Amino acid sequence: MERLSQLAINDEGFIFDPYTGNSYTTNKTGILILSELKNGKSGEEIAKITSEKFNIEHSVALKDVTDFIEQLRSLSLL
Amino acid sequence: MKKLCIGVTGINAVDNPGPGIGVIRSLKECKDLNVEIVGLAYDAMEPGIYMDWLVDKSFILPYPSTSEEEYISRLLYIKDRVCIDMIIPTLDAEMPFFIKSKEKLESYGIKTFTPSQEQFNLRSKAKLEETSLKIGIKTPKSKTVTSYDELTKAIEELGLPVMVKGAFYKAYRAYTHQEAVGFFRKIVAEWGYPVIVQQVVSGEEMNVVGVGDGKGGDLGLVAIKKLWITSLGKIWTGVTVKNGKLFELAKTFIEKTLWKGAFELECIVDHNDIYLIEVNPRFPAWIYFATGVGINLPSRMVKKAFGMDFDNSTEYEAGKLYVRYTYDIVTDLSLFQKITMKGESL
Amino acid sequence: MNNTIYEKPIIKKLQTGFMNKFGTGVFKRIRKDIDGVAIERLVEQFGSPLFVFSEKKLRGNYRKLYNAFSNRYPNVLFGWSYKTNYLDTICSTLHQEGAIAEVVSEYEYKKAKRLGIDGKNIIYNGPFKTMESLKEAAEDGAMINIDHFEEIQDLENVAKELNKKIKVGIRVNMDTGIVPQWSRFGFNIESGQALDAVKRISYGGHLILNGLHCHIGTFILEPNAYSQEVKKMVEFAYKVEDEFGYKIEYLDIGGGFPSKNRLKGVYLPPEVVVPSIDEFAEAVCDTLLENLRPNDFPKLILETGRAIVDEAGYLITTVHAIKRLPDGTRSYIIDAGVNILFTSFWYKFNIEMDREVSGTAEPSVIYGPLCMNIDVIDESVNLPPLERGTRLIISPVGAYNVTQWMQFIMYRPSVCIISEKGEPLLIREKEDMEDITKREILPEEYELKK
Ligand SMILES: Cc1ncc(COP(=O)(O)O)c(C=O)c1O
Repeated sequence: MERLSQLAINDEGFIFDPYTGNSYTTNKTGILILSELKNGKSGEEIAKITSEKFNIEHSVALKDVTDFIEQLRSLSLL
Repeated sequence: MKKLCIGVTGINAVDNPGPGIGVIRSLKECKDLNVEIVGLAYDAMEPGIYMDWLVDKSFILPYPSTSEEEYISRLLYIKDRVCIDMIIPTLDAEMPFFIKSKEKLESYGIKTFTPSQEQFNLRSKAKLEETSLKIGIKTPKSKTVTSYDELTKAIEELGLPVMVKGAFYKAYRAYTHQEAVGFFRKIVAEWGYPVIVQQVVSGEEMNVVGVGDGKGGDLGLVAIKKLWITSLGKIWTGVTVKNGKLFELAKTFIEKTLWKGAFELECIVDHNDIYLIEVNPRFPAWIYFATGVGINLPSRMVKKAFGMDFDNSTEYEAGKLYVRYTYDIVTDLSLFQKITMKGESL
Repeated sequence: MNNTIYEKPIIKKLQTGFMNKFGTGVFKRIRKDIDGVAIERLVEQFGSPLFVFSEKKLRGNYRKLYNAFSNRYPNVLFGWSYKTNYLDTICSTLHQEGAIAEVVSEYEYKKAKRLGIDGKNIIYNGPFKTMESLKEAAEDGAMINIDHFEEIQDLENVAKELNKKIKVGIRVNMDTGIVPQWSRFGFNIESGQALDAVKRISYGGHLILNGLHCHIGTFILEPNAYSQEVKKMVEFAYKVEDEFGYKIEYLDIGGGFPSKNRLKGVYLPPEVVVPSIDEFAEAVCDTLLENLRPNDFPKLILETGRAIVDEAGYLITTVHAIKRLPDGTRSYIIDAGVNILFTSFWYKFNIEMDREVSGTAEPSVIYGPLCMNIDVIDESVNLPPLERGTRLIISPVGAYNVTQWMQFIMYRPSVCIISEKGEPLLIREKEDMEDITKREILPEEYELKK
């Protein structure tokens, strides 16, 4: 989580990583997941939060959160 | 005077620069033109976006390889936002789109000043020899090839060395058959068929920039010789020349094709012989050189498009030197952020 | 909450050269119906994947082409190129429009006759014509275009057997500036081979040469190539008429006009690079009129395939699975593969979704269902994150797919047409086990014992 807390994320989803100089873009759901990850929540917990917030099925939310975490991993942000 | 809003592409002022910045600088330096410049870019990293003393606003365009519908609707969106009156495309890959969509753009109030489809086709590398023959200009012999067999035959016929060229991009000089085969393979892998094999003619390489008025006349011509080119083949230092034969060739070209719009002729001058090597259907990246010696072609083109009077003097001095240099800008990420997130600088 | 529209989460690294918010595909391309019939209804009725043809498009394209030529030249005939698509319904529709049949094998010849086409209205082309089929065609009075010297001999034998002179055409090939040059079919003009063929026919005395045929290639983007073709054919025709006393009654210039499909490796979109049909028609007809002698209007035959049927065909497919590749690329597995989309080797298709999908588009790969590495429908297409079950509509796929498709590890899907009245009609059923195993023979000693 330390890596994540270094990221500068603005409301529009522009992310700057001062550590590597890389920039990223994400969307609203991505911002939400990132901030919950920073809070130390697990994938399961975050899926619960997104499914409630967006009123979608828990199974869909869980699949998407898992996919997002995979993306973060492939970008070496996790 | 009414302010004209002009969109210009090719603002990628990098080591292989697009012509956009030279065009924009020419427009901004024209005293009797009042222009606002909209930079049209394909990447948030194009330096022109950050050159705020030349480029007033910037927008990202979809690549010309998307559908015509998407490209046009993006231009109309930009027209809606900033009221573009004219677009000057400067990149090869965009020209077919702007030529094809000329009327459509015009009907939306966006002017262009480009060659017709027919004129554009005449100058394609595969057609150049035929065209030159028709209008009485010399050009190196060339062969279109699609196989090793044909390549070998072409080399036997033309004799080594030869230029091996892709239909749109890339050109290599091959001194041996083996080398030619290597270049052939490389071009095919990257750009596909056909490959053009062109005879090498020796002499001084010279270039002419001009704008045709579409009726057989020109809005001005400037000839130069490149003195120093970079490893990417781009001019870094050059000098103006005055060569009667070169102008004659350019004038014949314009007269016979009724060329409309900007062009650059690449020629080889060998004593009394002049060969036309290539015709680029747009301004070259060194277009500011012409402006610097008093022949401001971009501004003349804009004035012509809007029916304004312009200075059409043809006199410039031979022996003026052109030196390109690099420059640095330091800025913060906010503009970059806007361009990446919203696709525009507003 | 006001921003409750859910988007699948996505994060993208910004890389120079790829920092273009729009890139290729700003819009989400949505197609909810084909000719007014909802995609979902079609799938419910006929399953997925499903080939769908539009009668309206098919007839529309034919008429546009026919008019482009017949408005410029007084004697025009179209021969429907069976190999492009020989589904009965497609052929019938075009025959109803006035096209005769153009076939290139015994099978196609019989298929045309079975559909009710008179042999007289069949153009018989191709490098492999069996003796029996030549005989049948000669008896029927079909237009036979000879491909090689052996065929001249074969036809002379047929003529002797039938005890009559047979009217024939010859196929010629030539340099029209198009690369590669299709020089393996027919007789070459520049080398003198074509003239030799005429001499040979004249010497034999059993055949009467009355037509010339040529087909310069396919997906030709250069109208001028047709001017060259027509010019050389007319020149050759008059040479034959003047020197041998034959009357060339038809000039068949083959097919080859492009459809509005996107060839792989061609950077610009088809709307920009593909010339209009009028440009082709003008090149052909102007050259004809310039070069023909006064009051001589031989029949101009066209065998246009692709340009008529390609855009009339769609393939509805369904997303079966979503997978993130190790390099972070999103990929989809759909239920249709390259075995039924033969043209995917050359084309980058237009891919549309059946519903609005929110979320940022990212370059994605589309894989087919075959357990084969080559089964890729699109290596990179900008798509928002799709759900399982999303229908992807792939087009144009009307030309060459439903003839060149391959049966491989699964059944070939149903094909339907949407009639001009807007009614979806099944025109080829999905295959079943019986179709595929019917011809197999399991000798007794190989049978598995219970
Ligand atoms: C003899 C002949 N005629 C017509 C065609 C149809 O060509 P296209 O679909 O390019 O119009 C072909 C296709 O290969 C052909 O071989």
